[in-house]
Amino acid sequence: MTPFTSGFVGRRSLATLVCGALATGGLAAVGVTALGPGTASASSHREAPLISGQPQFDNTDVYAFVSPDHPDTTTLVANWIPFEEPAGGPNFFTFAEDAQYDLHIDNDGDAQGDFVFRYTFKTHVKNDKTFLYNTGPVESLDDPDLNITQTYDIELLQLKDQRVVKKSTYADDVPVAPSNVGQASMPDYAKLREQAVHELPGGAKTFAGQADDPFFLDLRVFDLLYGGNLSEVGNDTLKEYNVNSVALQLPTDMIQESADQPIIGVWSTTQRKSASGEYRQVSRLGMPLVNEVVNPIKDKDKFNASSPWNDGDFLENVTNPELPKLIEAIYKIPAPKEPRNDLVDVFLKGVEGLNQPPHVRASEMLRLNTSIKPAAKEKRLGVLDGDNAGFPNGRRLGDDVLDIALQVVEGELVGAKNDLGDAVDKNDQKFEKAFPYVALPTSGSRGPLAKGTTGTNDVRNQLGDALQPAGTTSGVAGMDDTTLIAVSAASGAAGFLLIGTGLLWWRSRRRAY
Amino acid sequence: MAPGTNEDAQEKDRADVTPPPEGEDRPDRTDRPKERPESPRARMLRLGACAVAIAVAMTAGAVVLGNKDDNGVRTVASAPGVAPELLATGSLASSISALQTHLKAQPKDYGGWSTLGVAYIEQARTNGDPSRYPQAERALERSLKLKPDNDPALAGRSALAAARHDFPAALRYADKALDENAYNERALSTRIDALVELGRYKEASKAADQADERRPGIPVFTRYAYVRELRGDVTTTRRVLKQALSSASAPGDIAYVATALGQLSWREGEYKAALTYYEQALRADKVYLPALEGRARAQAANGDGKAAIAGMEDVVARFPLPGPLVVLGELYEARGGEEDKAKARAQYALVNAWTALARANGVNADLDTALAAADHGDRKAALRAARAEWERRETVHTADALAWALHVNGRDEEALPYARRATATGYRDATFLYHRGMIEQATGNKKEARSSLSAALKLNPGFSPVGAKLAKKTLTALGGAK
Repeated sequence: MTPFTSGFVGRRSLATLVCGALATGGLAAVGVTALGPGTASASSHREAPLISGQPQFDNTDVYAFVSPDHPDTTTLVANWIPFEEPAGGPNFFTFAEDAQYDLHIDNDGDAQGDFVFRYTFKTHVKNDKTFLYNTGPVESLDDPDLNITQTYDIELLQLKDQRVVKKSTYADDVPVAPSNVGQASMPDYAKLREQAVHELPGGAKTFAGQADDPFFLDLRVFDLLYGGNLSEVGNDTLKEYNVNSVALQLPTDMIQESADQPIIGVWSTTQRKSASGEYRQVSRLGMPLVNEVVNPIKDKDKFNASSPWNDGDFLENVTNPELPKLIEAIYKIPAPKEPRNDLVDVFLKGVEGLNQPPHVRASEMLRLNTSIKPAAKEKRLGVLDGDNAGFPNGRRLGDDVLDIALQVVEGELVGAKNDLGDAVDKNDQKFEKAFPYVALPTSGSRGPLAKGTTGTNDVRNQLGDALQPAGTTSGVAGMDDTTLIAVSAASGAAGFLLIGTGLLWWRSRRRAY
Repeated sequence: MAPGTNEDAQEKDRADVTPPPEGEDRPDRTDRPKERPESPRARMLRLGACAVAIAVAMTAGAVVLGNKDDNGVRTVASAPGVAPELLATGSLASSISALQTHLKAQPKDYGGWSTLGVAYIEQARTNGDPSRYPQAERALERSLKLKPDNDPALAGRSALAAARHDFPAALRYADKALDENAYNERALSTRIDALVELGRYKEASKAADQADERRPGIPVFTRYAYVRELRGDVTTTRRVLKQALSSASAPGDIAYVATALGQLSWREGEYKAALTYYEQALRADKVYLPALEGRARAQAANGDGKAAIAGMEDVVARFPLPGPLVVLGELYEARGGEEDKAKARAQYALVNAWTALARANGVNADLDTALAAADHGDRKAALRAARAEWERRETVHTADALAWALHVNGRDEEALPYARRATATGYRDATFLYHRGMIEQATGNKKEARSSLSAALKLNPGFSPVGAKLAKKTLTALGGAK
């Protein structure tokens, strides 16, 4: 076949050569493929990544509440980059530079934004010869030892009929609180956080930086749909993960339509710069769990690219939801009668007499009646428990939205009283009493114990972490499992339907509503 | 990126390997060997080599395809549908075993099956392990059986078909997935891949614009850049790849995008820039094979033959595919030491063994293989392969391969239109220009030959240790550079 095999390379040496190659594994793999018919043996075309890690553009949660310590102001919080792994540091997470992080407010219920607060970030590297985040202990935000820093601008866009009528710079070059990479690097992280709270004209405040993920739930309830048992419910899946937060406190009279019409709608989006240079919306979030629980898989990406104005497209997902039917099929709990106008109220219009604006156009956003005073003692089930200052009237950090959403989806508002939930009732970290309210991020130097891993594990590996031996091989090894499940759930892959199945976790709790 | 990822790029401690870079890196050519009929002895050798290879391969295959999932300690009892996006941030192998364990307990999780399928395909890509394809197929079929028309699984089928070079099927599945979900990022991406590989460049360009509008992100950016490069728009290609690199945080993304920038720089003759990008890629993944190979090529072009040979030996030891084998052989030839000719021939012989193994198993010889064979192996077989590939898809790469295969078989008049077609879109590849110039020279088109060879050497004078030398010699004979 070839002139070379008969000349310089004898039988023995060729065999040696081939076997040598095989031993490395390369040809072996080829050989295996070669055994299957019609398969290509090598790549001759570009094979670009199919899966790409881009969490900076992932909007995870939005909160809106009347500020408990400044009741004439309203606080908005939006989070990005889920599952920031602090363990074993130093890990750091930056906002993307080629993104616009937007907070939207609709103050007249017409499903069109009236205000957009647009956060854009810049990254600064002091010394690009090193890849270190910090080169020594960081005492302040402008410490020269903090090698990689970010600053941001806020632009305020005022809109009418979805067109910008006024644009102004609301904040300029504000420093971002760094990632909490560890005790040795950042001995007084709280001080750094404090320095990142920035006052704006007119009594407003802004903050951007790392925080503990305030969302709490047990995603292990996923298992139930497949017939797993309930013994493991009750762990906060998101415990000890951080997020990147943006928080904005605004004088309420600046954003509400009028004192007579104090109901606002809030949502958040991420725009990403495309190859052609245009910004395109790649993520959207208002009410918690809607895109996860209500929308079927095929609609999720479309929802992320859409605006509230077009939410009629998703109406059927709400009036005829999949989840209760699925639960009925598996657990024989009767699904409430359709069409579910009760869900349209809660998820798309707001509750009448509480947070439904007049002439409301059904659309998905968090609706907050800013005239309702903050509760002296917050109840985690919010409105369902008679605390009208909480979810679904806006959303406070401590509201147990999973339990509330479950109960509502299963007919709580249409007479099917139930006590469903996931047995995780509060966040693992305490929220702050003052702006920005979110809890301090978990430190990167808390050591390997917290996750039951050993120091040899690759801590940068989220999934890997979940899979590392934790000194036990039983399936009940706490964090290992839940971590992984959380990853799947919040990223909205297959799990969306299943969150609700936690309803089988019946608890003896008295309802006041 | 954590500082911890800044590791020694030279370290060679990992067992898994990656495939050689993709279509743009053609093996370099040298003088045509005189063809001889295959002697009985050569035939025996070939069959013997195949038998050994296949025997070992099957043993290895049994391990790969066997009950690997059942072994080892797994701590995870359940892990529903891990989102493919998150696979990018961690170790694919451990994610895959988690999914396997989960799916054993929850076999009805169609989302989990589709994610597993995609993870297998991604593993095949990054580890150069095509034995994953049948596994991917089973997982994706299972997902579709549980829930027909679920777009993640359809997009996975599209990616699998593309990986197996069944581009019409890839296009079909991508369209099906997009019917379900017009925003499916993987389907948008593989649709571009399929159209590019089928040579339907106009449609590919449109598809890239549409994908960029719907799902801007690294998977789409890398395709968008390539579609522009195929049209000769290097400025846009570089800008978009740089944008992708600056927003990349997962090591796999950084390695891929930095390598793509390195390859672009190399094709443009900017070796220092290329080396910088390859170092960046290797900081993210110290054994990323396309970067190791690209670095060796750039070192060779930059005059550092010693480092190039060491680097390419490393690449070939990890994964002996035709492209790198040919380059290594040519580097030996260019070094010209006492034993180098024999060493070079050993590399070419390995190419032949590889090709024979593929053919003996009914596998279509790949384009890389055809080009390697055209220069250093069975020229007739190379022509057969190139022609068959051209009949399947008319791309600049298949046109170039067919032109060159015709040329080495002495059929220059037939070769000429294909050589012209290979350069017609404006795609800037010195090898294509070199091939075209040599064919023009052989057909008596001296002026054109001079212009093509000048362009090749001006663009990327180090495109091949052996080819560049021949190009220069031929150009001198034609009266020097234009």
